Amino acid sequence: MGSSNWAKISTWVKSTQFYKAIFRHGYEDTPRNRALTTFSNVLYHLHPVKSRWESIKLRYTWCMGGTSLLLFIILTLTGVLLMFYYVPDVRRAYQDIKDMMAVVSYGTTFRNIHRLAAQLMVATVWIHMTRVFLTGSYKSPREFNWIIGVVLLMLTLLLSWTGYLLPWDQLALWAITVGTKMAAATPLFGVEGPFGLQLGMRPDNDVKFMLLGGTEVGQNALLRFYVLHCVVLPLMVVVFLAVHFWRVRKDGFSGPL
Amino acid sequence: MSDVDEEITRRDFFSIVGWGGVAATLGGSAFSFYRFYSPNVLYESQKVFKIGKPSEYPPGLSEKWKKERQVWVVRNESGIYVMISICRHLGCTPNWFQDKQAFLCPCHGSIFSIEGNVLGGPSPRLLWRAAVKIDPTDGQIVVDFNHRQDPDPMSTEQGLRVDEASREVEPFFLKV
Repeated sequence: MGSSNWAKISTWVKSTQFYKAIFRHGYEDTPRNRALTTFSNVLYHLHPVKSRWESIKLRYTWCMGGTSLLLFIILTLTGVLLMFYYVPDVRRAYQDIKDMMAVVSYGTTFRNIHRLAAQLMVATVWIHMTRVFLTGSYKSPREFNWIIGVVLLMLTLLLSWTGYLLPWDQLALWAITVGTKMAAATPLFGVEGPFGLQLGMRPDNDVKFMLLGGTEVGQNALLRFYVLHCVVLPLMVVVFLAVHFWRVRKDGFSGPL
Repeated sequence: MSDVDEEITRRDFFSIVGWGGVAATLGGSAFSFYRFYSPNVLYESQKVFKIGKPSEYPPGLSEKWKKERQVWVVRNESGIYVMISICRHLGCTPNWFQDKQAFLCPCHGSIFSIEGNVLGGPSPRLLWRAAVKIDPTDGQIVVDFNHRQDPDPMSTEQGLRVDEASREVEPFFLKV
């Protein structure tokens, strides 16, 4: 009785114009319908229409690219949540984090998910690259996508690094002190790097100065890292991800022959 | 045959478990998001506060707390009431004019009497009065900013008003 009513409701819902406007192709398992589902969907169209069974086996792909994407989505969602309670002001940033851990419901949960997912994402991106290297999937015709992948790796590391400063604790302060000190040793653009002095680099105009917005890790540095971490770098990742997936679709999966 | 139709098949079972898991995950996420989004600690100004002893307030209107706490303190012949300085039209802060003996709202020109009655302008309600009590320990007036008296006014020739006696009741009036 219950199930037949359910079936009636279900049939009616599926007959409405509204339902058909959203679910455009139904379940019909034909090559044409499967292709249509992919062609006409903005998210699926980034993926190859068809791929060989052997080339999507877990033991071949390790699913590290997809895991990285999943982690990126989790990081975006939890990151937006953290932004509701965090203010990048040197006078209150640390206290905001303490509040998040102590008095905000599920603050500890969301912050720890963000932290752990961030560390995990660095690992999965590296493992993804390792797999691509080991299976030779970087070779022609996928060389361009390998370069996009290197850019994405750099962006991932920069996201991880810029996020590091935001808690504004001792760990953050000295990590960024050390990191930007290394930037000062950049050839040509760092005051301590080779040819830096000859090119007129000074502590108040070199690449470290540009990163920090000053000569020490202070308010400008915190705000810069915050904006880079929350806006600039994620947007760049999204753009490069779109290109990355589009290339996968165009070049096809490598897979065993 | 109909008996077989009613049975839960293996496929149904896994379908229910699977979609149940999805629903539980989404529900749990939505709940935790809702709890996260509702702050437990506020860094706003206090909504229950002390404004000194009744003896500090001579007859008439005191604007001492208007800027800090958004209230006026009024002493009339029978006691003290605390009125909230928020216009009931669209929430601006009216100003007290001693010569006119009225509050005028700078935004859209609502006019209120010292009792909070509407003498003119677009305001559809009377000014709020806040709940007050005397702290038994130090004798100070304690104002509860969020507990407000909001009477239904009568429309008269002179504007919207209520009987003053009906406003001078506990806990919105101190007979001191």
